Amino acid sequence: MSGPPAALTEKQKLQQQFQLFQESLPKVNQLALTLLLNETIPLSMAVQKRLNESELSKMENDDELQINDIDLKDKLYITPKLDLPSHKLIQEISKCNEEDKLKVIERLRNIGFQIGNKMSELLVFTNNPNLEFKDMDLLLIMKFICRDVWKQLYGKQIDNLKTNHRGTFYLFDYDYKPIQPFSIEGDNSDEKTQEKELELVKPFLEIPVGIINGVLSSLGYNKEDVSCEATFVDRPDEKSKAAFPKGISFHVQILNQ
Amino acid sequence: MAIYSFWIFDKHCNCIFNREWTLAADTNSGTMNSKQNEETAKLLYGMIYSLRSITQKLSKGSNTNDVRSISTGKYRVHTYCTASGLWLVLLTDFKQQSYSQVLQYIYSHIYVKYVSHNLLSPQDFADNESEMRGQGIRKITNKKFLQSLEAFLVPMINN
Amino acid sequence: MATSEKLSASQSRSLKITGEEIWKNKTEKINAELFTMTYGAIVSQLCTDFQRDYNKVNDQLFSMGYNIGVRLIEDFLARTALPRCEDMIRTSEVITKCAFKIFLNITPQVTNWSPSNDAFSLILLENPLSEFVELPMDATKQLWYSNILCGVLRGALEMVQLDCDVHFVSDILRNEPQTEIRIKLNKVLKDEIPIGED
Repeated sequence: MSGPPAALTEKQKLQQQFQLFQESLPKVNQLALTLLLNETIPLSMAVQKRLNESELSKMENDDELQINDIDLKDKLYITPKLDLPSHKLIQEISKCNEEDKLKVIERLRNIGFQIGNKMSELLVFTNNPNLEFKDMDLLLIMKFICRDVWKQLYGKQIDNLKTNHRGTFYLFDYDYKPIQPFSIEGDNSDEKTQEKELELVKPFLEIPVGIINGVLSSLGYNKEDVSCEATFVDRPDEKSKAAFPKGISFHVQILNQ
Repeated sequence: MAIYSFWIFDKHCNCIFNREWTLAADTNSGTMNSKQNEETAKLLYGMIYSLRSITQKLSKGSNTNDVRSISTGKYRVHTYCTASGLWLVLLTDFKQQSYSQVLQYIYSHIYVKYVSHNLLSPQDFADNESEMRGQGIRKITNKKFLQSLEAFLVPMINN
Repeated sequence: MATSEKLSASQSRSLKITGEEIWKNKTEKINAELFTMTYGAIVSQLCTDFQRDYNKVNDQLFSMGYNIGVRLIEDFLARTALPRCEDMIRTSEVITKCAFKIFLNITPQVTNWSPSNDAFSLILLENPLSEFVELPMDATKQLWYSNILCGVLRGALEMVQLDCDVHFVSDILRNEPQTEIRIKLNKVLKDEIPIGED
């Protein structure tokens, strides 16, 4: 005859409480976050174009219609000027000059950085019994990124983490969620088109790069001491044809270690 | 053969995708987005357009009634029309009454995924006015869309 | 223009049930605070880029929303299989009970109908984009923080042939009494017919 169930340990009780707390938080559709994140890439190009245009018009002293009278503005609703469609803006990123391209990339990294910063604050203050921030060394921070940060943002963890225990890390995400539906127009059975496809998708990797930088920064590792780059890698095994052809490797190096 | 061909028309009266299977034995046979099908596409569009138009008029102006399938002596045309002006069309034999679930699946899991959520693909296939009103020629060509569609429909071709 | 009757109680309830069922069973959910934070990072970056010219930020958010909206509508229609709405009354119900529910898990109120029922307001009692956000003083006069929503609505509605003006009227972030978005139908766009058939 079995007795009453064993009492939960203190840790298990905290975990249960934490679960309930998480479930009680307001939610939104994950798609909303994915679409928002993905649209930041064409947005970054659109912003650069607008900035370039206004530089140009300043130099040419164009007369821009300024409606400064607030009353008039309210009554005269004019639909704002729209940018090019998303897919065209993405094409422009790979076609624009080096200077603009760098600015577009930097903008994306900044957005990612802010997200990463705020995410760690968020997760640090949620009293997650699985995280002990007091004694977090670099490896634990990287694991935090791989497990908690990635899980929150992308619904899955990083697939593989490699380190030389001397400040260099490789984070592998073989199914980086936001880019899974991406596929270039036209027959991509030849190498040139495949390369073009990767070139178009590369800017999308700048957001998670920024996020990694942001998390590290908020946990004490300054921007100047951290280097993070993303590259495409092959999957270690044959995955279903429906996924994006390459996985992503994030190479993180902490200098002055 | 159960399924003969599959077509997608957009709100600009353009055929933005077509796939025709010709040999039951060889599922790699047939054409995809081929110029040969231009005429057929226009005729198909016209037939569906006229019947939809009449259906809506017969339903006393309410647009909640819509054509679902049109049968001729040789084949059945199944249509799935979205509120956004997209038409998914399947030409089949007479064995199966309705293919609306098949078309709905293609819309939700193939079109929305590999065209709408794919930022490398256009969402609007007409670049300017000269490509509207049936004059456009652009097609859906991205590989993920094509592969997923093949993988989904090919097993049903010889039902 | 003939005044349409308000939606029957059963039609309204069925839209509500559709929205709730899809939210409950067919959606992957994330914590709203993540979404709030991501959007905050975007707005913040835009304010830096445009050097606090908030009119430009508003326009850019609108344009970004538009590009999202023209694609989001297909996802929405695929999930709900809803046909075109007969009038703006039904449109308002679909927007609030289905669209907002499925994507943001909120149900704005619909009020302030124009006499000819071609314009209405959405009152957002909660807004996951701006939860816990505080605006700096100069922004409270000019920035429409959640302007992306106006772009999304405009883009989505345009794809179902409704040419609408969508803009903010007030926002609690600006210390105004409520958050209100106005949607006004300009015209119903005519479906295209092939050249030579008219």
